[in-house]
Amino acid sequence: MGWLTKDFETAPCEVEVSHCFDSLHAHVKFLNGAVINPGDEVQVQGPPVMAPYGEIVREERIARITRASKLEQLWTRMTGDFEFMELCEFSFSEEIMPHAAPRAAHKEGVPA
Amino acid sequence: MKDMTHSADAATVEEALAADNHQGVVDSEGATALAMQNTLLTPRFYTTDFDEMDRIDVSSVREDWDKLIAQMKSDPNKGHFKKNEDWDHVDWDGMEPKLKREFIDFLVSSCTAEFSGCVLYKEMKRRGNNEDIVTLFQLMARDEARHAGFINDALREAGIAVNLGFLTQKKKYTYFRPKFIYYATYLSEKIGYARYITIYRHLEANPELRFHPIFKWFREWCNDEFSHGEAFALLMKTDPKLTQSFANKLWIKFFLTAVYSTMYVRDHQRPAFHAALGVDPDWYAHEVFTKTSEISRQVFPITLDIDHPRWQKGLEALQRANVDLADAKQTGKVFKRMGATVRAAAAFIGLFTIPAVKHQVPVSTRLEPAY
Repeated sequence: MGWLTKDFETAPCEVEVSHCFDSLHAHVKFLNGAVINPGDEVQVQGPPVMAPYGEIVREERIARITRASKLEQLWTRMTGDFEFMELCEFSFSEEIMPHAAPRAAHKEGVPA
Repeated sequence: MKDMTHSADAATVEEALAADNHQGVVDSEGATALAMQNTLLTPRFYTTDFDEMDRIDVSSVREDWDKLIAQMKSDPNKGHFKKNEDWDHVDWDGMEPKLKREFIDFLVSSCTAEFSGCVLYKEMKRRGNNEDIVTLFQLMARDEARHAGFINDALREAGIAVNLGFLTQKKKYTYFRPKFIYYATYLSEKIGYARYITIYRHLEANPELRFHPIFKWFREWCNDEFSHGEAFALLMKTDPKLTQSFANKLWIKFFLTAVYSTMYVRDHQRPAFHAALGVDPDWYAHEVFTKTSEISRQVFPITLDIDHPRWQKGLEALQRANVDLADAKQTGKVFKRMGATVRAAAAFIGLFTIPAVKHQVPVSTRLEPAY
């Protein structure tokens, strides 16, 4: 890991998406023991993992991990704390419904 | 009998249009509206100092800890989050549009919050090696996922599909020091309890104002929030520095001010929702702050002086600045935006500098839900 350069790596992972009444959750587990550090980015490759209502979907996929540069890691460690308001339910947010949702999705680079 | 199809399950607009609950929509405007009702959940992803969390030693609060964990393991609310005959029919089509919009916004943001909590707790569980901590986070992740599933079901009735496809987007992991996770999640769980129970009690006294059955489930729901808060209170108790050092007291005050004022501003963005419940948002805020302050005395050595003359004035100033800020963002007025930002910051500093109320923290931390 360089001070200014980002590294990329891929890791096999298991994605579990549950779209059930009992449990709505979605998790990624790395199968090679890869560890995520502050500022790293993770993207599961392939089309969105969609679970129909009432089902749990488990799929093995490849995740692409973009390792933050040393500098970025330090920066995230220093400043990440100030994003804590997102932990609270009522954090400031743009209007979510209904017109803002597709736009937000688009911003992230994924077609709504 | 063939199962009814629901537009909330549809993967494409065409499927949604063909679903049984949306037979009438044929024009392109209707199709667009339907497509938009697919709400992508966008939880945030966090990382923290997992080694520090592994070093937590709960032996100083062992008795209380074991009792709490045993209670959570026994899962008293299992089976509570089921729809039964108390789940009345909801007339979504007859609901006043502004109320419907605000109420759906309330449900979506609650669902996202539960979901984000689940992601955070699950990550802690996965990365931790300390048996006590791992067990706690696993139990809390279970509750949050259950709550999210319950809200999701209510959303489906309204034809809103929650999209869990976010994993294939690029997600950046931000960093929180463990103590900030304790302060923020402790407060978030306890204020969540106070918010839910206040609405529950209000609707118990005024059942004719209950416009959706989900409110009937708020009591057990908030008892889960209460237990989670208890666990964080015990965690903070294991290291006295977390709540007693000068710098950390300032952090606690900062978190209290930020959480209270954010709630105030956010609730004032949903006037129709509160009007339908017959709740004055100012009364509601004061009620919730009072309860949260009373509870948080279990572990925090200070509470905010919410009866100070500058408190309510400051909240109102922050709220006005926030309205102007939103308006300036929408219309692209740069100077108005700068002015509103400065006013919001000044209002926040005004609130933060109100002297706090100091008190002795009790030796025994544990509380039971009493409101």
